[in-house]
Amino acid sequence: MRPRVNLQEDVDLVGLPLEDERPVEVAPARVPATPGEWIRDNLFSSVFNGVLTVVTGALALYLGYQVLRWILVTAEWAVVKANLRIYMIGRFPLEEAWRVWASVFLVAVLGGLSFGVSGHRLRWTLRKAALRAALAALVVGALVFFLDGPRIWILTGSVPVLLAASLKAGRAGYERLRVPLWIGWGLAFPVVMVLLRGFGGVPPKLWGGFLLNVVVAVVAIFLSFPAGVLLAVGRRSSLRAVSSFCVGFIELIRGVPLVTLIIAGFNLLPLMLPSGMDLALIVRMMLIFTIFSAAYVAEIVRGGLQGIPFGQYEAARALGLSTTRILALVILPQALRSTIPAMISHFISLFKDTSLLAVLAITELLRAARRASAQLEFLGAKKEAVLAAAVLFWVVAFSMSRWSQRLERRLGVGER
Amino acid sequence: MADAAAVEPARPPFWRNVRVLRFLGQVGFVVLTVLVLRELYLNLAFGLRRQGLDLSFDFLRQRAGFGIIEGISYSPNQSYVRALQVGLVNTLRAAAVGIVVATVFGLIMGVARLSPNWLIRKIAQVYVEVFRNTPLAVQLVFWYFAVVLTLPVIEGGFSLGDFAFLSNRGAAIPWPRAGPSFGTWGAFLLAGVALGAGVWVVRTRAFDRTGRPHHRVLLSLAVLVAVAAAGYVVSGDPVELDVPESTGRGYTGGFQMSPEYAGLLIALVMYTGAFIAEIVRGSILAVSRGQKEAAEALGLSPAQQLRFVVLPQAMRIAIPPLNSQYLNLTKNTSLAILIGYPELVFVGRTIANQAGRATQVLLVWMGAYLVLSLSISFLMNLVNRAVTRRGEGR
Repeated sequence: MRPRVNLQEDVDLVGLPLEDERPVEVAPARVPATPGEWIRDNLFSSVFNGVLTVVTGALALYLGYQVLRWILVTAEWAVVKANLRIYMIGRFPLEEAWRVWASVFLVAVLGGLSFGVSGHRLRWTLRKAALRAALAALVVGALVFFLDGPRIWILTGSVPVLLAASLKAGRAGYERLRVPLWIGWGLAFPVVMVLLRGFGGVPPKLWGGFLLNVVVAVVAIFLSFPAGVLLAVGRRSSLRAVSSFCVGFIELIRGVPLVTLIIAGFNLLPLMLPSGMDLALIVRMMLIFTIFSAAYVAEIVRGGLQGIPFGQYEAARALGLSTTRILALVILPQALRSTIPAMISHFISLFKDTSLLAVLAITELLRAARRASAQLEFLGAKKEAVLAAAVLFWVVAFSMSRWSQRLERRLGVGER
Repeated sequence: MADAAAVEPARPPFWRNVRVLRFLGQVGFVVLTVLVLRELYLNLAFGLRRQGLDLSFDFLRQRAGFGIIEGISYSPNQSYVRALQVGLVNTLRAAAVGIVVATVFGLIMGVARLSPNWLIRKIAQVYVEVFRNTPLAVQLVFWYFAVVLTLPVIEGGFSLGDFAFLSNRGAAIPWPRAGPSFGTWGAFLLAGVALGAGVWVVRTRAFDRTGRPHHRVLLSLAVLVAVAAAGYVVSGDPVELDVPESTGRGYTGGFQMSPEYAGLLIALVMYTGAFIAEIVRGSILAVSRGQKEAAEALGLSPAQQLRFVVLPQAMRIAIPPLNSQYLNLTKNTSLAILIGYPELVFVGRTIANQAGRATQVLLVWMGAYLVLSLSISFLMNLVNRAVTRRGEGR
């Protein structure tokens, strides 16, 4: 039996070994050859299944037709079109929008380079090609509808161009670019912060819309990771004072809903900080999300640490390594590797949780959608307004979870 | 040789003695933590005092003065404590019903994801991927503001032959109500349960002795139902049907759901159901293939394979992550603050805004959620023990 990582399953999606991705050891009894056979095997294998197929098929077709008709004909998407800027960047001044675009370009270049360097190539089967074509048509169609004016078209259009160009560059540069890229990603975050805020930039209280969701999530992810690792190591420390402090902190934070922490950050945090230290509301929320996330990261890392066989400690000790070095060189690299899937799913849910900022008067994406749907001329378009926000969240969360699945397969986590 | 044995091992000086260092390190850590916490506390107390507030809980006995739209009986003249109780009960109402419904729904969807039928499998997959990857807050706002509140107004609402109603004022369906002779029937019910239990024991013993099929579930249920039915006839309509009526502003009688409650419940069930479906699917897949093949080789029917071999093992795997989903669902009821369902956090926030006592309210929240989480974990541990006791018992 392969050793199962004993993850603490407190975080969404954690820990169940989904073994369906593994190659089937036993050959299937009969590989369906023709479409007719496939239909018989997968849709009409028994009388019950046949009836089920017909009934749900009819229902699904009807619902699908209704939904499509609503999306393409009935729905009034004008509410989103009119409020597109609020959705994306909130009250960020339009004349400073270049800062956001520059950040997007930077991330696009880095992303393209990374993808190129990874050497991964899209596989083109007939089905995938059809799927991608449909997706591209959908995206282009939506863009044609939502974007007005040459300026925004040029800016939006340059994103895929940059992506493609840097992808090619990445493929050409390959190994040479590995290290610079790591450094680039490490610097990307401070650079983007400076881009947004520095040199007469825009104060955080004007950040909003989807930009704010992304920024808060990224800040919390960056800061909570080291904090969480420290907490996890502290929790397993043999120093009683340290470990009980870490346990108390982790359990306290995980025990209460995020909403209450957000409200505490709104009402109480300003009072608790030393006088003269006034943090903007957004910055305080970043702090709250970091604290919240750190507690969950700590539990994930603890799961990874528990999965390391004790022999690893003993072997490292026998080599004469100090405790710090044992952790840094032997234990953590192995433990963190096994936690990657759980970590990513935690970060996805953290990203989704940024929508909770809507509880306060912060114009993040959800709040922007509600504000848009409250405008007099769009009173009838509540579904459209909220759905647009939902789709944006979904696209990011879904692609991240897909990427995580691929990463998981490539790293072979859970396979060893 | 003798000399070497006599030499005492040199003790390290105290500044290199690990035990001393560890002790000092801990003391330093504690002192630092206490200093930081003290600083935060002093700042807080100072800030509050400047606003004329304190950190005592006495204010909870004051008159609340604000209305709460649903829940156990309450009037604005009652105290803050009562308001918090109403909120807590509303939280429990949403969490308990949500957990049950989400589990059933998630179970169905999880099994559907493993169906041999391609269509069913795909529908379940689309459901899971859509609802799992969209924030609950967005879903909640969607269900409440865009679906429930855009239902027809109460005059033009849907009604099912004056029995069940649905409009943007909520939903109401007929619900059984205890009649005057309910006590008599209750006695019959108890007798039925006792008899059924007796049959269960007898059949189990018979099975242990003879090894023939015991049918204990079927037989004891049959006894229970027979006694209950007989009692129903004898005591004469112990249960009446409470049919709801529309008052023009809302509904009375029957089982009612306010729009807020309905919105919250739909959102919680759809969201958590997607996660539970994944847990169910993962747990069934995690039972090793050999187990099912072995069961097949023993000649068990597909239903028996599932009932006696796969499910008991899958449940054992599923319970810890299910527990955390239940905890999440309970904590997620707090999102109702977005739609104005008066649960604990909503009521607490109203109090905090009105009385300015955010610190105390935060402590109340912490205590309440701690108790809730611990109770759920405790119950799930009981279930876990019941499940793992069979078989190898890890």
